[in-house]
Amino acid sequence: MAQALADAGRENRINPVLLPVMANRMDAVCREMTNTMLLAARSSVIGMARDFSCAVITSDNQVLAVAEGFPIHVWGTNIQTKSMQDLHPDYAEGDAFLHNDPYLGNTHPADHTILVPVFHEGEHFFTVAVKAHQADVGNSLPTTYMAQAADVYQEGALIFPCVQVQRDFRDIDDIIRMCERRIRVPEQWYGDYLAAVGAARIGERSLKAFIAKYGAHTVRHFTEEWFDYSERRCIEAIRALPKGKLKGAQAHDPVEPWVPDGIPINVTIDIDPDAAKVTVDLRDNIDCIDAGLNLTETTSTMAAVQGVLTCLGEDLPPNSGTMRRIEVLLRENCAVGIPRFPHSCSVATTNLTDVIVNVTQSAFAELGDGQGFAHGNYCNSAAAGVASGTDWRRDGERYINQMFMMGGGGGASAENDGMHYLFVPVAAGLLYRDSIEINEQRFPVLIDKMHVVTDSMGHGRRRGGPATEVIMGPRNDPMRILHVCNGLESAPKGVRGGTGSQLGGNAKIERDGSEHPYPAVMVCDLEGGERLRARDQGGGGYGSPLERETHRVLNDVAERYITVETARETYGVAVTGNVEDDSLAVDESATAQLRSSMNGGGAPA
Amino acid sequence: MGYRIAVDTGGTFTDVVVADEAGRLTVGKALTTVERTFEGFSGALANAGDIAGVPYERLLAETEMLIYGTTRSTNSIIESKVAKTALLTTEGFPDTLLYRHGGKREPLNLAMEFPPPYIPRRLTFEIPERINAEGGVEQELDEAAARAIIESLPRKRIDAVAVALLWSIVNPDHELRIGALIAEIMPGVPYTLSHQLNPIIREFPRTSSTAIDASLKPLMQSHLAEFESDLRAAGCEGEVLISTSSGGVMHVDDVVAKPIYTVKSGPAMGPLAGIAYAGAEDQGDDVIIVDTGGTTFDVSLVRSGQVKYTRDTWLLGEWIGHNLGLSSVDVRSVGAGGGSIAWIDAGGLLRVGPQSAGARPGPACYGQGGEEPTVTDAAVVLGYIDPDYFLGGRMSLDVTAAATAIEQVAGPLKLSADEAASAVLTLAGEQMIKAIQEITVQDGVNPGESIIVAGGGAAGLNIIPIAQALGCRRVLLPRTAGALSACGGQFSNIVTEFSASRYAHSNTFDFEGVSATLSGIAARMDEFEEKLRGRSIERFGREYFVEARYINQQWEMEIPMPMDRFESEADVERLVETFHDVHFRRYAVKEEGGAIECINWKGRITAFLDKPSFPAEPMTEAALPKPRRNTRAYFGEAGALDTPFHLGDDLLPGMVLKGPAIVEEPTTTIVVYPGSSATVTAGRNYLLETGAAGA
Repeated sequence: MAQALADAGRENRINPVLLPVMANRMDAVCREMTNTMLLAARSSVIGMARDFSCAVITSDNQVLAVAEGFPIHVWGTNIQTKSMQDLHPDYAEGDAFLHNDPYLGNTHPADHTILVPVFHEGEHFFTVAVKAHQADVGNSLPTTYMAQAADVYQEGALIFPCVQVQRDFRDIDDIIRMCERRIRVPEQWYGDYLAAVGAARIGERSLKAFIAKYGAHTVRHFTEEWFDYSERRCIEAIRALPKGKLKGAQAHDPVEPWVPDGIPINVTIDIDPDAAKVTVDLRDNIDCIDAGLNLTETTSTMAAVQGVLTCLGEDLPPNSGTMRRIEVLLRENCAVGIPRFPHSCSVATTNLTDVIVNVTQSAFAELGDGQGFAHGNYCNSAAAGVASGTDWRRDGERYINQMFMMGGGGGASAENDGMHYLFVPVAAGLLYRDSIEINEQRFPVLIDKMHVVTDSMGHGRRRGGPATEVIMGPRNDPMRILHVCNGLESAPKGVRGGTGSQLGGNAKIERDGSEHPYPAVMVCDLEGGERLRARDQGGGGYGSPLERETHRVLNDVAERYITVETARETYGVAVTGNVEDDSLAVDESATAQLRSSMNGGGAPA
Repeated sequence: MGYRIAVDTGGTFTDVVVADEAGRLTVGKALTTVERTFEGFSGALANAGDIAGVPYERLLAETEMLIYGTTRSTNSIIESKVAKTALLTTEGFPDTLLYRHGGKREPLNLAMEFPPPYIPRRLTFEIPERINAEGGVEQELDEAAARAIIESLPRKRIDAVAVALLWSIVNPDHELRIGALIAEIMPGVPYTLSHQLNPIIREFPRTSSTAIDASLKPLMQSHLAEFESDLRAAGCEGEVLISTSSGGVMHVDDVVAKPIYTVKSGPAMGPLAGIAYAGAEDQGDDVIIVDTGGTTFDVSLVRSGQVKYTRDTWLLGEWIGHNLGLSSVDVRSVGAGGGSIAWIDAGGLLRVGPQSAGARPGPACYGQGGEEPTVTDAAVVLGYIDPDYFLGGRMSLDVTAAATAIEQVAGPLKLSADEAASAVLTLAGEQMIKAIQEITVQDGVNPGESIIVAGGGAAGLNIIPIAQALGCRRVLLPRTAGALSACGGQFSNIVTEFSASRYAHSNTFDFEGVSATLSGIAARMDEFEEKLRGRSIERFGREYFVEARYINQQWEMEIPMPMDRFESEADVERLVETFHDVHFRRYAVKEEGGAIECINWKGRITAFLDKPSFPAEPMTEAALPKPRRNTRAYFGEAGALDTPFHLGDDLLPGMVLKGPAIVEEPTTTIVVYPGSSATVTAGRNYLLETGAAGA
């Protein structure tokens, strides 16, 4: 390796072996932090559903490594670390900062971010960020998604604009006490806070060992090289795309009474393979609204970037190097741009972000077969609502927690059917689901059903994932479930001839069996014996259903994903026999005729 | 005692390790015969007999104990060749196996394919019944409905039935009643009840293990019966024991009742060999065990003599595949081995794996049509493998083909062939390092404080740089390294676990309830022990564990209990203290003064079997023999060096080889890098000093 090493020395470059070795180690640091957070957390939103992410940011505020965090979480941690430097120029080893300020780079106030600067021989090298969605943040209502908040004051969350919470590795108790006075079930919050600090300190320890092992000089060069490498990968991926200017639009459902006309969202995507650049323009959109649905700079940007990166494929490293090739144009005081204080951004990680991801991914499908995705579920059903109340089994002890029982069908891709637990587009199928037994042990709830819904998805050569329905209710004491929902009036669309899915919805089932649907912003109060029906949506289909292989259609019938009628009417596949005696089969000639006539009488597809 | 034989039938090779009365171990190998396992076994045994100079018939006739490890169940699951199995579950919850517990790798990959649920939806049946979290009956079992469902199963040609109802762990009445109905309506059809197999809270892992177990019963019952009868017919009268995923062995009839324990049992034997060798060579009881094969690299961990266990073992993909759900030996596998393919990505970076050339076509140097550069090709180019003495001369390698293949990555990187080959080996090692770091760090273990015991045909190629990167000073490479799993069978005990679910809060500790639970577990262990005493086993050990968490913490942590019963608040306090300590070690935080919730209780009983004792040979003062040959080999930054090659058989205990040097054993090659050394121990194993600073 002598010559290569010498070359590397002259150009001040890291040799081609050390680069992946160091990148691997960096990834391992993030995983170690992730593992600590997951296993030490208290609330199910963090420990069970994994609604948290860990990242390593360089001292010049570039996102370096994120392991398997949520894209929506980790981008923007660079803006947060910059605020740490701006607001606390004397930051030092042993410090930790609590940051949940949506106007300073955080995602939304429910995500508490712990920032810990990492030093080597007195010099700042990295900052680790551990961002976790809290079970409660002191909002005026017991939910972490306050769609009904006209502004940050009505929202009520405690906002920490990068506030110091540890000095010399010890808590600053004032801050802890403030949180304990205003956050519901404070011991749960403190347990999660401890887990986050533990994860950050473990990351700090490993990074210090990393710098000591490779030396300050090499580590600095490594980060630059790794960003350059990531950029090269992104360049190659963009060069493989056709040139094009794509436009997509979709509205978020009306949210009565705050946004009676819904929220139209326009996305313009400019793909320039020659310049190896993708630009997403979100500026042609409405001003900030007087409700909690406004996005933040971070979530507007990352929703668009996530949409683009999933379409580029190629397991691109999600870091600032890759991001050099994706530009997102935002404007100030825009509902999907940079929020203007004091507009509320309580729901900034979901809802509008899901629309942006869907619109972006489906716009890519216009580039040709093989590109892009159909829409995924964006109906945040009440099976993912925030439940609170008291537990008569434990002397009336209070509880509050977000549940994770919804499924959410994924949009189909050109190659595969959509997944059955996408959750919503920004969650990308990464969330863990709650165990029925653990939920029933922890909360005084009885869950009656949780199952996928036949025929709920969009159809196509590849079909969407199915919707999930959950029926549940309190066993005794009243229970309150709050949530904000989209997709009650519109449903995920298919692409390239694929069809859309069925609507989702939430309804109260009275003791007499009658049902009353809830609006998008729901406050669901259930007494013992009353039930909640929560249903999300399937994903959209990709390509014409008439092109779906008959064996797949047959299997879908056998597995009750679709009915015999849908097989015939939508897929043009005649299925005979029944599941009962294992005699299901495709009638090939009837199918050929059906498909031919559905194709407009032309040759069978 | 007579001979003791341990067998490991892998996908490609069947390994046999024979221990004679003096404790000497001999390794034999043959190709696995899928149609009839016994043929591959007898081939491997004959091979060992040839080496040891004992006729095959005599080996069999004088065998007192045979330990059989099989990948049959694992492969049947991977290839979807298990029995047609029905799942009976609580009405309203037909999709437990479809949803799993959610999550996936690769955040940006939305186009991945998800394996179907382990039991298809069409063979999943919802039973009207419901029990609540405290064991109360919310809805009585509708026996007529259950009966109608079970009566429909024979028409669907169902061969096995899994029954997993919500909360059967606190009230098993409904599951038991359904079991009785199955026995009545479908006599002879095997079934598994979830509360009996795996009584843990969380319906997904419990249902998953129940489904897997039931689906294996018809197959494993006939497979084990066939193997045993073949053995008897060939004149073997010794006792037959089966390796399990819990790192022990069980009698055939116990395994037939719970065949899921044979899944992934091969790698679970590795740690036993690790403990045995590290102990015999006085290397302590903190051991990292690695096994490098052609396509996978397995890591397991022993800390203070205790094997590390996990409940999170998956087949066909973490999170999206099938979960074993049982507590089994924690073995992390990564797709890295001799066959891993090197390539250059779109950003110009060299990558190794996860694609593998496998056994066919295999690395380019095998000359079987493979053209892509692999780790083995890199080792050939570097001069580490003698092309004329691969696998003890059983196969000759094509050096030119290896060089041509490596040139595919060397060219674009503007590296020489040596430099590129060295880079390939380094990057392959990188994935192994990551796997070792994950398993150790997760448990709060500093790898630098452990010894590595390395096995597998390809382990010796790069274990020294791997150990250096981890800060490990010493590596032990057993002479039987090529058959580590089979070797582990030689050092196994009969191990069985009994568990039960019982909630207890440390501030309001339910002494009565917990005592009843623990005595229930103890009674089952008594019964088990009684049965074995009938087979003249006399030494037993018992350990108790509890899965506990801080109040409302999401995941439980299994901790060994410092007591086996609770008599006073002081006992509870001791348990809470133990919990704080373990939590701090693993997660760097603990909640001072915090209470804990105990969820699942477990007893593990070990029946100790006699083991081969390692015969120690006298240490020689003699000088190293003249090497078989000297060849140029390339060592990264040290460059190309004149390197002596020795045959393992030529070396005597006490001899020390200073790097650079290469030792060839019939089933493995040991590369001693510059700056490190290898000592032949009294047990004729290799103790490598890596030159790392250590912990």
